[in-house]
Amino acid sequence: MKHATLILGLVTAALGLFSLFIGSNPIPVFQALLDRLHDIPSAIAIVLTEVRLPRTLIALLAGAVLGLCGAALQGFLHNPLASPGLIGTSGGAAFGAVIALYFGFGSGLGVPLAGIAGALVATWTVYRIAGRDGDTLTLILAGVAINALLTASISLLLSLAPSPYAVQEIVVWLLGSVANHGSDDLWLMLPGALTGGLLLMRTRRALDALTLGEETAASLGVDLMRTRAQLFAGIALAMGSVVAVTGAIGFVGLVTPHLLRPLAAHRPGRLLGLSALGGAALLLAADIGVRLLQRATGASIQVGVITALLGAPFFLWLILRQRSPA
Amino acid sequence: MPPTRRLPALLLALTLSAAAETPPRRVVSINLCSDQLLLLLGEPGQIVSLSYLARDPNASALAERARAYPANHADLEELIAMQPDLVLTGAYTDSALRRALRALGYHLEALPLAHDIATIRANIRRVANWLGHPARGEALIQRLDAHLKRLAQKRFKRHPRALFYQPNGYTAGAGTLQDEALKRAGWDNLAARIGLRGYRPIDLETLLLAHPEQFFTSPYAPGTDSLAQRRLRHPALRAATGGRPMIELPYRYWLCGGPMIADAITALQQAHP
Repeated sequence: MKHATLILGLVTAALGLFSLFIGSNPIPVFQALLDRLHDIPSAIAIVLTEVRLPRTLIALLAGAVLGLCGAALQGFLHNPLASPGLIGTSGGAAFGAVIALYFGFGSGLGVPLAGIAGALVATWTVYRIAGRDGDTLTLILAGVAINALLTASISLLLSLAPSPYAVQEIVVWLLGSVANHGSDDLWLMLPGALTGGLLLMRTRRALDALTLGEETAASLGVDLMRTRAQLFAGIALAMGSVVAVTGAIGFVGLVTPHLLRPLAAHRPGRLLGLSALGGAALLLAADIGVRLLQRATGASIQVGVITALLGAPFFLWLILRQRSPA
Repeated sequence: MPPTRRLPALLLALTLSAAAETPPRRVVSINLCSDQLLLLLGEPGQIVSLSYLARDPNASALAERARAYPANHADLEELIAMQPDLVLTGAYTDSALRRALRALGYHLEALPLAHDIATIRANIRRVANWLGHPARGEALIQRLDAHLKRLAQKRFKRHPRALFYQPNGYTAGAGTLQDEALKRAGWDNLAARIGLRGYRPIDLETLLLAHPEQFFTSPYAPGTDSLAQRRLRHPALRAATGGRPMIELPYRYWLCGGPMIADAITALQQAHP
């Protein structure tokens, strides 16, 4: 477990460093770093610190939040198919952010706050319908319905938005992208992502105890209501802030916990930190793929295309495994 | 322009005006670019209707004057009711509408897009001839050329590197009105320098590594917001120009070629550091 965290941390850090070398043009990264340290406002220093660094950090932070929220939801709902993308959290956040950004409440913290509100309402709605320990089918079907509603609403709103550019951006909100953001966007998502992440990390012990059943957990001092409030607040804060900047990036939150569960000895509390690291590495790797593809072909695709191409087959495999009595 | 070079154009103008014997009396324009030239060259009694875009101050250089005439939305029934004897259209007017009008026997003329000042002159001449006022066209061209000549007398010690940066990272390379205006205003158009032609997106890193000194932008939809428009507020852009903010110029300068290009050059000259 300790080793796993360490290795995963090193992999993520290495990807982060590597990511600074990948852009549309080769730049002397060390020279750029020296320029930056000596406060020389050279073009290469600006490319490094104002373009590549924010993009790398946004991908890491968004990936970490997705992985963490996926692990927390799967742990709390006792449901291997739960993830922010499938139960409507991402869609709700994107819906809130779209209202704020395109209809005039988009200054300052307006967009992330609207994203947080949207994430909370959508997640809570699905939870109320399916319940904790409800069967998988109800949860997934409720998620499908809410997601269909949100996707249609986002498309409708963007078609009606006053900006002539809005319609083309439907794909960004539905698939997600970490391109073209600056440090200002990083600062916008950071407070909610960190607060939400901390709240979720504090549910670790409760999630572990809940695997023994609600009564046993209660006897161990776990307050279910409190845990639930922490969990939903944490997910809404983190997902709302992230999706308000990146759009709804799919499958990272679903796949990451599954890949890492064996390393956490199948304890949902332990999985949280690992899944955050894994999500960060996964999304950054996908974005590096986007950048390499762009350099090779000139095509700019959304990072959500890559995560869906990798994640959807995994999702299918997961369903098949659920169906066959092992 | 030397008189010898103007001669073929004059001859062309003469033949064209001979062809159009009686000037049209009910002219309807359904394109923003022909709207503006019609306003500049037509007789007020000749003009029946202009497109609704001609009234939009963001898009049209003659929005106030356009309000004196009824607006149209290029709708077939609406146009038929106006009983035009000449319909002015643009290069990208809906081809189905064009076919329908032709089939009903209406006289249509299409104004080509202008990407440089030579085409602006040719377009002025074209519209003046369609309207039966070739002399007005020549007079307008002379005024424009005199204005451009005055502007060309202004000398700049240095030609700073600049470019237009539009939502979604679009820029104006060689062969655009922006390129011609920047050059005539003493700027070095970076987009053309790095080999871009026409309106193309430019990648942010490539843009920054070209060492821009000034950004210009022409908002197409002021007061609205989107991710595309937010890209203009990327902190790297300000850092690249040493904190100098992007300069906004009205979009109406570029949407259509016309005498307003001289105003655009004036504004660009005034923007020199």
